This record gives sequence, C-alpha cells and structure tokens, in this order.
Amino acid sequence: MADKKRVITLICERAADVNDIVGPSGLVNGMPELGMVKFPCSGMIQPLMIEAALKAGAEGVIVCGCQLGDCYYREGNKMIRERLLGERPPGLKKTVDRRRVMALWLSRLQKERFLSESKEFIARLGSMEKVEAKS
Amino acid sequence: MTNSARSSNENPTGSAYDAAINELNKLLLILENVTNSITTSKYNPFYYHGALPQFYLWVLFLSGLLLFAYYIPTIDNAYLSARLVNAWTSVQYITDKLPFGGIIRCIHRYAGDAMVIFTVLHAIRVWFTDRYRQYRWVQWVTGIILFLMVLFIGQTGYYLVWDERSLLLTRMTASALEVLPIFGGPLKTAFLNGETITNLTLSNFLFIHIGLSFTLLFVLWLHYVRMTRPVITPPPAINYILVASILLVAFMFPITSGKMADLNTAPTSFEMDWFFLFPYAFMSAVPLVVFWVGGVIIAFVALVLPWLVRNVSPPVIPAEVVIDKCTGCSLCYKDCPYQAIEMVPAPAGSRFKLLATVKTARCSSCGICVGACAFDAIDLPNLTDSDVTAQIKALVEAK
Repeated sequence: MADKKRVITLICERAADVNDIVGPSGLVNGMPELGMVKFPCSGMIQPLMIEAALKAGAEGVIVCGCQLGDCYYREGNKMIRERLLGERPPGLKKTVDRRRVMALWLSRLQKERFLSESKEFIARLGSMEKVEAKS
Repeated sequence: MTNSARSSNENPTGSAYDAAINELNKLLLILENVTNSITTSKYNPFYYHGALPQFYLWVLFLSGLLLFAYYIPTIDNAYLSARLVNAWTSVQYITDKLPFGGIIRCIHRYAGDAMVIFTVLHAIRVWFTDRYRQYRWVQWVTGIILFLMVLFIGQTGYYLVWDERSLLLTRMTASALEVLPIFGGPLKTAFLNGETITNLTLSNFLFIHIGLSFTLLFVLWLHYVRMTRPVITPPPAINYILVASILLVAFMFPITSGKMADLNTAPTSFEMDWFFLFPYAFMSAVPLVVFWVGGVIIAFVALVLPWLVRNVSPPVIPAEVVIDKCTGCSLCYKDCPYQAIEMVPAPAGSRFKLLATVKTARCSSCGICVGACAFDAIDLPNLTDSDVTAQIKALVEAK
C-alpha cells in the first residue's frame, strides 16, 4: 500500500508515559503508523472524537486511560469505559466498527505494555484489511 | 502541543520537593501495579483507600453500640448493690462474663487502631498523588479536622475503661487544659464536668466519646459534599478481609484492663498505645507550653498544606459552556466528578429549559464534561473540541 493508514491513540497524559517516544508532530518515533493525541484525562474523550478519527480515514483508534479505579480526576476512565460499552450516554454510534476501537487502562509506568498492545492491535487491523480485500 | 505544559510527568519548576513527590508517587504506582496483578483493579485496596477508614467507622459504631449497652459511666456506684459497680467493673463484666463481650471489646479497640492506620495511609496517598490541593482543598481541610476528631474520640475511649492509665491520662489532660490562657480554667471544668474527678466526669467522657463520634458523620458530609458518587464502601470481598483481619488480631492479642483506677493513688506510667496516645508521649517529654505551641503549629501546617505547596502544576483554567449550543440535557452535570456544574433555568428566549453553568472554584479542568457533551457545548479553553478534531485530522493525514 502506498498510502499507509494510521492508528490514532487518544491518551490521558497521566496514563502510560509516552512523552519520550512521541515526536513533535504527534507521531510515535519509529512507529509512523501510530499517532497520539494527549488529553488531561481520558474522561475528556468523546465518542464523537473516535468517530471523527475513523471518518477522517484512521484505520483504528486506541483509547488509553489510567488503571481503572485510579483516575486522578476520580472517574474519568470509568466514564469513557462506560461510554464505549454503551452503558453511559453519549455512546458510540451503532455503525462504528467496534473491532477498530481498543481501550487500554495503563498506569504511568506501563509504557512497554502500551507499545506491545498497540503493535498487536495494528497487526490485527492489518490482517483484517487483508481478509476484507480478499472477499 | 497545547496541553503538554500541563503534563504531570514533566517537571516545570524542578524543585527538590516536586522531584521527591514524583518519586514517591512512582513508588506507589509500582506497589499498585503489583497489587493489580494479584487482585485485579476492581479489588485493589489502594483504590479504596478512603473507603477503608469509613468501613471501620461502621464497625466501630456497631461494636460500640453493643459495648454501650453494658457500660456504666461512673467511678463509684457502690450504693446500687453490695458489690462495687463502676466503669471498670462493667468493662470487666463485658470482657469476662458477657458471651463474646471480650471479642466485641477487642474489635472496638482494634477497629479504632485500624481506622487511624488507614486514615494516615489515605492522607499519604492523596499527598503523594497530589490530590489534595486547589479544587480539593475542602476535602483536605475537613480530612485533617476529621483526623484530629478521631484522635480525641479514641483518647476518650481510653479514659472510659477507667483503669490506672485512664486516671493518669485524665489528670494529664486536665492539667494540660488548665495552663491554656483565658479559657484554660473553664475548659478543664468542662472536661471534668466539675472541679474534680467525680461520677459526672465519666458520663461526660461517655458523652464526648459518643457525641463526637456522631459529629464525625456531619464532618464526613463536608468531606464528601463536593464529590459526586464518593467511593465510601469497599467491595464485599475487601470488607470480609478487613473484618477477618480484625478478628484475627482480636483472638491473638486479647485486650485487658490495667488495675482499677483509685483516686487516692497517683500512677506515673502507662502502657503506650502509639495509634491514639502519641500526643501524651509528646506531652510528657516537653513542657506544656511547648506541647501546645508545637501541637497548634503542626495542626496549622497540616491544615494549610494545600496552599503551602503551589508550584507543582499550573493554575486550573475552568471549563466554559458555549451558551448557544447547550441543550440543557444535564449529562455534564451528572458526570462531573466534583459537582462543579449547576443546571440553571435557560435565559429567556432559549429553546431549552435549562442551561449548564460552571462553578469555577470547584472545576478541576479535567474535561470529563467535554466527554459527556454530545453537542460540543462545553470546552476547556486551552484544549477545545475543535483543537482535538484538528489534531486528529492532522495526524491521520500526516506524511
């Protein structure tokens, strides 16, 4: 593919510490297929933003908040989790392909876990693409 | 990036204090990660640090109620029967004769100790994770007041047993109160419920012990009032472990009283309980003036700690409602974790009934209201919805 598709990460700045791996453009160093948007809290992430990313042509969206139970602002990660699961309004539209959205709950120290999970996610999206291209 | 300056990981001032807190916070995170790998985050006691002392408060209320049923708050009630019936003998009766009385007494004592331990851990965690300042100052200040109240309630519990330690503690407290200027004399009289130790003294102690315990509920309300859905109950699995650990300690180290207090003797030493009685160790080590001045300074510094530490993070810039877009749906009001949003009647001419408004003093600028709004009607001034969408677009299209 000439035009490589991109995965967008919407991440809480207090969750997995990615400061030193993100370049000034917001792309992860050495992983140009992964872009980062930082939020003060994962609770700020609107389902609309996820839809906007997919609509703009992103291959997938990773939502990353702190460990469940340990939100600096008390309930942010709980809120976005419930919104993603459809338990709290506003939720994701039904037309959104749920396979393209992944949520991770990682503490500041779990950068490696973040990288390995996102690599796996990107690989999974890639294989999905191939299957769809075949059919 | 617009929001990178807010990052908790960066160290804008770079002071030694910030660096130390950062390291201590990291240490907590390591501990929590280990606990998470054992218990999962749902049952991680670190995430219920505030609910643990609250749970022990219920244990204390229940066990205290049972003790109260048999406790006699006098130093001498000989006229009631041929045998001496007083506070000390009633506590002996509870401990030795009453079925399970001794265990209830142990539970009451050790639950109090546990409450002090978990309250201190709770305070340490909110301190190290920097969750006590700015929009959270009410919780910190009421927390310090609650802790002082708990200490005093615990100390009155030690007076109530009426053994030699109780007598010594009562006399130490009375003489410490006496040296205070202006209010010293009246305070001592109010404390002893008279000029000297009489039967009325112990009923006063019982009143303070129980009355102040119920006042805790009022201060706890202040402690919780700015928090939406405060976490005040740990999951049952943790509760069982908390109760079991208290029972284990109670069976391993049963509580006994010392010798019955005798007003004609002057005991000079007692067995130390470091959870509640450490102020008395301080009191006996230094002159009373130093005790009072030192105590007031320590309490004052603890109370104003949120304002002493300033430069760790920049000031909060509160969220703003976009009046034309707000539909008055109340979703942000429901989701705000600090009760910083109030729904007010919409201005005349609006199509909607309600309008969201932000109480700026309570706002933490976390953006949870932004996530709750499906109409882009509320924004953080330094990271608006359109900023985010633009960033996302730029990233998708970046070469």
